[in-house]
Amino acid sequence: MAETKEKSHSDEKPKPRVRPIVRLGIFLVSHSFLVSVVCFTSGVLALFLLPVLAKNTYISENALMPGSASPMLSNHHVSDGNRLVKDLTNSNLKSSETGIESHKIIAKYMLDVGAEVSFHKFHPQMNQFHPLHFFSSPDSGKIQENCSCSSYGINTVGIIRAPRGDGKEAIVLVTPYNALTSSFGEVLSLGIAYSVFSLLTQVTWLAKDIIWLVVDSQFGEYAAVSAWLREYQTPKFSSHSTLNAEMCPDINYLFEIKVHSMAGSKFSNSFRRAGTMTAALVLKVRDQSEQFDDTVSIYAEASNGQMPNLDLINVVNYLAVHRQGLRVNVEKLWSLLNSGWLKSLGEIFESLATIAKSLNPKFKFGIPATEYVEGIATLASSLYYQALGVPTGPHGAFRDYQVDAITLEISPKFSLDKVWCSDILLRGGRLIEGVIRSVNNLLEKFHQSFFLYLLTSPSKFVSVGVYMIAFALLIAPLPMVAASLYVDANSSKGDSSFLFAITDTDEHGITIRSWRWLNSAKSVFIVHLWGAIVSLLPYFICQIPDCSPTTSFMIWVLLSILSLLILNLVLASPLACVKASQEKEWALVKSVTISSVFIGLGLMSVINFATAEIGALLMVPMCLLARPLKLDVRVGTLRSCCRIICNLVLGHIAFPPAAFFLFKGMLDGFGSANVGDFWMWVESLWAWNSATYLFIGMVQLPCWVLCVSILFHSC
Amino acid sequence: METFNNSKPVLVLLLLPCLLLYSLISFNSSSVEAAMHTNNWAVLVCTSRFWFNYRHMANTLSLYRTVKRLGIPDERIILMLADDMACNTRNKYPAQVFNNENHRLNLYGDNVEVDYRGYEVTVENFLRVLTGRHETAVPRSKRLLSDEGSHILLYMTGHGGDEFLKFQDSEELQSHDLADAVKQMKEKHRFKELLIMVDTCQAATLFNQLQSPGVLAIGSSMKGENSYSHHLDSDVGVSVVDRFTYYTLAFFERLNIYDNASLSSLFSSYNPSWLMSTAYYRKDLYKRNLEEVPVTNFFGSVMETIHTDAAYKALSRRNSGRFEAQMSLDSVHHAERRTLMKVNDQEETHDVNPEGNKQPLQGEEGASKCPWSTFCNKFRKGENVDSLVNYGLVTMIPLLVIPTWLVR
Repeated sequence: MAETKEKSHSDEKPKPRVRPIVRLGIFLVSHSFLVSVVCFTSGVLALFLLPVLAKNTYISENALMPGSASPMLSNHHVSDGNRLVKDLTNSNLKSSETGIESHKIIAKYMLDVGAEVSFHKFHPQMNQFHPLHFFSSPDSGKIQENCSCSSYGINTVGIIRAPRGDGKEAIVLVTPYNALTSSFGEVLSLGIAYSVFSLLTQVTWLAKDIIWLVVDSQFGEYAAVSAWLREYQTPKFSSHSTLNAEMCPDINYLFEIKVHSMAGSKFSNSFRRAGTMTAALVLKVRDQSEQFDDTVSIYAEASNGQMPNLDLINVVNYLAVHRQGLRVNVEKLWSLLNSGWLKSLGEIFESLATIAKSLNPKFKFGIPATEYVEGIATLASSLYYQALGVPTGPHGAFRDYQVDAITLEISPKFSLDKVWCSDILLRGGRLIEGVIRSVNNLLEKFHQSFFLYLLTSPSKFVSVGVYMIAFALLIAPLPMVAASLYVDANSSKGDSSFLFAITDTDEHGITIRSWRWLNSAKSVFIVHLWGAIVSLLPYFICQIPDCSPTTSFMIWVLLSILSLLILNLVLASPLACVKASQEKEWALVKSVTISSVFIGLGLMSVINFATAEIGALLMVPMCLLARPLKLDVRVGTLRSCCRIICNLVLGHIAFPPAAFFLFKGMLDGFGSANVGDFWMWVESLWAWNSATYLFIGMVQLPCWVLCVSILFHSC
Repeated sequence: METFNNSKPVLVLLLLPCLLLYSLISFNSSSVEAAMHTNNWAVLVCTSRFWFNYRHMANTLSLYRTVKRLGIPDERIILMLADDMACNTRNKYPAQVFNNENHRLNLYGDNVEVDYRGYEVTVENFLRVLTGRHETAVPRSKRLLSDEGSHILLYMTGHGGDEFLKFQDSEELQSHDLADAVKQMKEKHRFKELLIMVDTCQAATLFNQLQSPGVLAIGSSMKGENSYSHHLDSDVGVSVVDRFTYYTLAFFERLNIYDNASLSSLFSSYNPSWLMSTAYYRKDLYKRNLEEVPVTNFFGSVMETIHTDAAYKALSRRNSGRFEAQMSLDSVHHAERRTLMKVNDQEETHDVNPEGNKQPLQGEEGASKCPWSTFCNKFRKGENVDSLVNYGLVTMIPLLVIPTWLVR
């Protein structure tokens, strides 16, 4: 009761009490400089701490039970595989003009063990830039008209039906094989797959169908796999494809041979399907090996930084390391491994951990410096490939249909002679068998473990909950600085033009002043519109025939500049000061720019986190530091000098092509850099429908232009 | 004086029927508490589905086999299996279930009768079985038709936690539910003694809420402990048996139907270092001394099978119930080898006590030694208390008439 009385008393007071959250907001906005410095540094630090915070992977799904069953693959199956390897190498020596012969051999072997066999003929689809195809599912019904009989590929598909299964689910095993230029590694991967396949036709424990897809990789592995998947997932009920097949004598010959020689066998002309795909494994064997151990490399990144479920990687890693004694690799940025500053950073973390441990023995978060450097190198590569948004192998095609898939690349220790061949067949085969048996135990889709993660080693990962912190810290200053700039611009305007203010303190003037930001918003909008136009330009440029990458790039740059100028002339001038009275115009432009960057980064972090993270590392400091050079030159203190230097450096780095060449130079050395490379890189981005391309065109480039315009603002 | 003299025989006459009535009533009321152990039932429940829980089904089937071997007939076993591992497509040995990697014993042979299978195994059905509240359409074979003389073994295995047991990966049986069901069973005289055996993680917590007398409970692990599987069959690719059940079975493998190993010897056979958990038993609700209770009291059966030449010739269906009652009496005379828990029958056939069963005789049972005992028995067999009271009242009427006539 007393409280209510007090309240009623306080209500009578004219000054209302401000809610704590509002006060906190005001406090943060008023100290935005300090807050942004602290947040940004801690964000970068958190990124470097990720290898320390990484957790060990574990099998999250109970049903998987990897390695609980002893492998059944015996020497008998290995000799089956060896037989196929021998036959294929012989046929390659004999006739190498077409791949028909080897396809026949593979199909015959599949039929021998009692599997259903069919051929899938496809025409490779050229990757083209379709402006509206980002994020959309792969196109289904599009059949290219002018495909000649010479340019088709043949996928050989073998299907084992689970003897007591319901036929609703399937596991896919993919082996890329180019019949024309087959390397021994490819043949060996076929051998491994076949030895597993011949085992699986005999076992009684299959709950899911097994599909073995021998992919014709003469037009690229990805294209062939995605062609087969398209056919598999979107049945066509027209007779178009069969007509096409009939027009080509080669493939008819192939089909006829099959049907006549093996009447009554399980060969079929039509496209064969099994159930929903649970998981897919792409198996490769590398020819030349520089490894000291037999190694399995795992490639997992699919388009737009999508990853397969972590459990799939865990199962492979567990079985390879603990059952078959293989070493497991995930990709690293090798150039980072030798960098001294990372090593010293790792040592600092290590010593900090030992100090913490001496204080309290329960603190156990330190990792050795070498492990830290490896963790950072793996993490950087994980971030890089996710950010790129381009799949790292044919497994990416599966991810487009929400199928968990990875590529396993086995690289044997020694050159592949007969003895080692059998050994690799046995161990690789057992690994594949173990993974298939484990996935076979699965009851539902992979769902238990993480989909959003970064790997720091094959057995360590950083989950989304941890790595988001670094990103959140990076972009946290943006709204605060935007707010403080806005407040600052409005109030300081009032102060500086105090004489004016006296003259018009009427309602009208205040309203106009408070809506002044719309002017800056308009200019920011125009630049973003220009960004959209720039990202559409390559669609037209690539229509120009016979254009080298360098010329294309030059045309693109010229057209971009031209379009910016035209937009400027037509709509408004975002660069020039509108009125002399608005000398704080740049602050408002900066405020709106920062807001738009914040929105762009936030959106991008949902679509592709890694892109947003790398983008934030570049753009956030540039946005925060941007300030007209004239002002700094006028002041001339040490602080402003530093700021000028930072601004100039960042202004160069954050320009997308410059950032690309810098990164490329760091990885490969600057010697091979070429202007056309950027065009090719961009081409690959849109070919793979990578959202990174949109991000660069519609967020980063406009942001850079706006920041540069602020730098050269004439106040 | 005359009246006094007259009144003496009257008093005697008055007192006699009262005494008679009292003794009858008191005997009958006590017989409810100390009903004889007449039959054995077993409710065996596997609560978890999915292939990777193979071991739970193997546990339950192994126990099914054991209690069947020790004499509980199929019609007195309610077997609930939440999933069918034998027919799972992942099973390397179709239609077979093993509880050991040596694959010597197929638990899923021809004579396994599963009463509740698959999605029928729910908390609701489980509680219905215990409390006997079935819908009318449920066949007798799916009901627990126990009575006040029944010893029931309730075995459950699956995934559990603190005071709950998961059913079917979708619902839970809480310790309150279990205690409530047991209480209802007690009220409805559905058991004389109940042994609850649970093999889950934190199994001991499931017994926390039990209150009903006559309940003995044993769990595989204490609160905060996990129950582990015993071994993995690398051929089938799953763990095939849990530790607690494995060592329970190991104990019973040494026994045959005539052994009289006590419950305490079973309970003391659990070695925490083998189980990797602490077996917990709760006996505060159970009055008898565990050392004197043979395990066959729960895991075996008192029922004696009578072999007849023809299955359906002997009796019509109408009086078969009475025949059973007679048969159980007859069997006493013929069964020299069996321990019988029927106290009165022991008195009638004093030669039958080969195992030196030292079941304490309670006061009321002592009273039944009086000449009335055969008469009482008759009442006990045929009628219930109500009819007895009616008879008493009827006998009271002439007795009331006689004194009034005498006083006149």
